[in-house]
Amino acid sequence: MINNIKISARQFAILVILFSIGTTILVIPGSLAHDVKQDAWIAAIIGTGVTFLVVALYISLGRMFPAMTLVEIIEALLGKWLGKIVSLTFVFFSFIAASDLLYYVGTFLTNQILPKTPPEAIHILFAFILMMGIRLGLETLARSAEVLFPIFIFLFILLVVSVLLTPDLWKFENIQPIFNTGMKPMVRAVFLFASIFTLPLVVFLMIFPISVDQPKEAEKSFFTGIFIAGICLIILIGLTILVLGPESSTNQMFPGYTLAKRIEIGDFLQRIEAILAIMWIIAIYFKMTIYFYAAIIAFVQTLNIKDYRPLTLPVGMIMVMISFFSHPNVTHSAAFDKEVWPLYSLAYGLLLPLFLLVVKALRILINLDKKHE
Amino acid sequence: MLGVAGTIVAAIIIMAIEIPTLWKKKLTKELWVFSILTLIAVGLGIAQSLHLDIPSPLNGVRIVLQPFIDYIYGLLK
Repeated sequence: MINNIKISARQFAILVILFSIGTTILVIPGSLAHDVKQDAWIAAIIGTGVTFLVVALYISLGRMFPAMTLVEIIEALLGKWLGKIVSLTFVFFSFIAASDLLYYVGTFLTNQILPKTPPEAIHILFAFILMMGIRLGLETLARSAEVLFPIFIFLFILLVVSVLLTPDLWKFENIQPIFNTGMKPMVRAVFLFASIFTLPLVVFLMIFPISVDQPKEAEKSFFTGIFIAGICLIILIGLTILVLGPESSTNQMFPGYTLAKRIEIGDFLQRIEAILAIMWIIAIYFKMTIYFYAAIIAFVQTLNIKDYRPLTLPVGMIMVMISFFSHPNVTHSAAFDKEVWPLYSLAYGLLLPLFLLVVKALRILINLDKKHE
Repeated sequence: MLGVAGTIVAAIIIMAIEIPTLWKKKLTKELWVFSILTLIAVGLGIAQSLHLDIPSPLNGVRIVLQPFIDYIYGLLK
């Protein structure tokens, strides 16, 4: 079933870009500025560098098992029962991430744009388009990403240009002095950046390399995707710090959005923060669908079910329900993102793939497996 | 009460969409998994609408990871 799904390397790159920009764009400038103040953009540069290493790890895992998804790799290496248990925890990871994003959408829209709408209504409506996309399949999703991507880039350029065109908006004093932070806050900030930008990329191992039609090209587009997304984020974080300064970036819940609110060119171009909201909704939609897709494919493969489509609606309904009560309030959500999520994503995004590689190497060493050609 | 009704209506719509095809193709296993998942969803929905105190799954994650969190952030303090 899943073997028939093929997307092109270009579509894969676009999915990687939208996925990694996803939530990062609105939230991360603030949490980075909290740790490293005006050096947040440096943390983003280092974080993007780290991402290349992590992606190289995923690619080497993908090369060893070119015809398997992550769940099949886990089961092949760890045996049937242990493998199934680990796979189910992976399903939970990816699923919880998707429902967390749903919570994010609800919080953002009710806080900033639709203050009188109950968040439940937004969760349910957003879940509808999510389930619709999942039922139509990965190929349809990839094609729609291809259609929406130029809009995304156009809006991004419009935003950047309009900030740059208003010189009285930004002050260089805001990012000075450069390199003023110690080692430990920097490590913390890079870790935080990686936990949102880098480590969740592990869910792409459910798609890559098996569902991409040119594996060699796809490896390259994995890197290009990360490169483009990294550049976008570095620019955006830099602009946020330049315009808002480190203190007010930290205090805002959505600093990127506040940045867009400040833009005013002449007397005619103002209130273009909706641009950022549209970009964010596009990116978060694809991030959510990829999490959800990975979760449901992993679930179906663990239970040896052929078609995932009949299960989409009930799983989606559970996701909506969980998004209602997973965070009692915004403080809980912020604390979770800052303390728990980095380690949680480290466990699946780095330790699990490393562990699988080590197990594979050991099996080759003691000749359980034939050497890979 | 509206929430309970809404949950049940949603579940009935979902079942009306999926069960006929599953039944016709005689996919027993899928039918079981589907029913269990729908049951969980309905249970969560009703508990939620009645304002029962459901523990957040994220708190479970936090409990498991707490020792590591303390250790790592202690190192980076």
